[in-house]
Amino acid sequence: MSSAAGPRHPKGPPRIEPTGRALPYLSALLDSSVGAKLVVALTGLGLVLFTAFHLVGNLKVFQGPAAINGYAYFLTHDLGILIWVARAGLLGLFALHVFLALRLHSRTAAARPVPYRYHATVRASAASRSMVLSGVVVGLFVLFHLAHYTFGAVKGAEVEPGRVVNYLDLKYRMPSGVEVHDVYSMVVAGFTTPWVVALYAAAQVVLFVHLLHGVQSSFQTLGLKNRRFAPAIRALGFLVAFGILAGNLLIVFGVLAGWAPPIHKSA
Amino acid sequence: MEREAAAETAAVQGADPHPTHHPMKLTLHVWRQKTRTAPGEMVTYPLDGISPEQSFLEMLDHLNETLIRRGEEPVAFDHDCREGICGSCALMINGLAHGPERGTASCQLHMRSFRDGDHVYVEPWRAAAFPVVKDLATDRSAFDRIIAAGGFVGVNTGGAPDGNALPIAKVDQDRAMDAAACIGCGACVAACPNASAMLFVAAKVSHLAQLPQGQPERRERAQAMVGQHDREGFGHCTNINECQAACPKEISVEHIAQLNRDYVTSTVSAVVKG
Repeated sequence: MSSAAGPRHPKGPPRIEPTGRALPYLSALLDSSVGAKLVVALTGLGLVLFTAFHLVGNLKVFQGPAAINGYAYFLTHDLGILIWVARAGLLGLFALHVFLALRLHSRTAAARPVPYRYHATVRASAASRSMVLSGVVVGLFVLFHLAHYTFGAVKGAEVEPGRVVNYLDLKYRMPSGVEVHDVYSMVVAGFTTPWVVALYAAAQVVLFVHLLHGVQSSFQTLGLKNRRFAPAIRALGFLVAFGILAGNLLIVFGVLAGWAPPIHKSA
Repeated sequence: MEREAAAETAAVQGADPHPTHHPMKLTLHVWRQKTRTAPGEMVTYPLDGISPEQSFLEMLDHLNETLIRRGEEPVAFDHDCREGICGSCALMINGLAHGPERGTASCQLHMRSFRDGDHVYVEPWRAAAFPVVKDLATDRSAFDRIIAAGGFVGVNTGGAPDGNALPIAKVDQDRAMDAAACIGCGACVAACPNASAMLFVAAKVSHLAQLPQGQPERRERAQAMVGQHDREGFGHCTNINECQAACPKEISVEHIAQLNRDYVTSTVSAVVKG
């Protein structure tokens, strides 16, 4: 990028010849606006896949404590080292996606130093123009979500009237006799708290807006969109975004509505 | 019938054949900037006696004649063919590149697209890579350098080859022609919230990617042109599609998908083949 400040050379910026060495060559390719965008699209699709699996797993809350607590135990204990491989991969996807998108955004901010006095748009959707904003909100929500349920830093669960236990100290005895972490009570305690419900619901709507543009845009970035399949890809993008929104809201409001048995019986 | 005949007679006699087309009065807000480095500002010019039949550039000529008569400096703006094929005219009109009509350059926009009494804001293209030279004229040589970086094909000199010697499928011809319609005006950059020139780059890459003549340089083309695009200081594409709506030649963003495909395949081929 040439800097916006300072005089421009009348013949433009100097040309850079491709280097013969592998690593600088590849990094130059991935550093370009198209290359970085490709990585943002791929990591974004990876994160969407994770979100879909996360949703399917969490829907087990409606099957009762044994199902979801058993599933959580399977993920954190039976998978062994694989869970850490998966977590590292997720962290990598998340970090790359956020870093590259924000870097592209900061570079592009210099591309129009003088704004227009009169603003108008014809075709650009609000979702497409607010990707950075919606992305940052979703990212902050993910941090809160981790603090809330994974690190148990936000609030304890009231197992009996007057007795509050931290989320991570909730225990559940499986039908097999093994004592496991009680994810079920934690979720029920969380989603019967009004401000938590409001925050999660709002974040899901923002995620929906982000995915509404993000999914179909990833296909375009990867060169997988064409005239014939463009409507199908738009529909797919909407279905993915809406499916994740509907599923997550179903958990949040389903628990609030008491579709899952209340906490006191299982604690 | 009688009215038509009367209109015809009037036209022959040189009078206005459409008596309903009264001259319009507009309030223009025009960006004035003396030099590349001078600070500019929006200046308001009330202008009347505008015919709805005038093109936007003719209306600016009209304004300039008024300014010259008053002893003021006329508004500088780029123009050449005035028939929508050269890509010289470049005006941001009421926040829209080339104004409110679809598929037209500023020169082909007519004043009938506006209503009597409207306020019209006229600004230059805004991008770091398109510095303002004066008033509404910008330096768009960044596009020339992007083309020079890879938007060309190598051909043998000598006699013209037989037109049918190289069969090209109709669908490829059509797609290449759609992309080749780009006149390089820069409306895509002006309209893009990121000031990205990706539609311009994509039009050339996709045009040459469809044709056998474009194949020898194809592997390096996408990388070289995208590299130059970035160095010129254009932003990145976020698939907002505002460029497609602004393009006077209505070039589709599907060519950007083609550019991305070429970028992916050339990168993969660079990794595999070395």
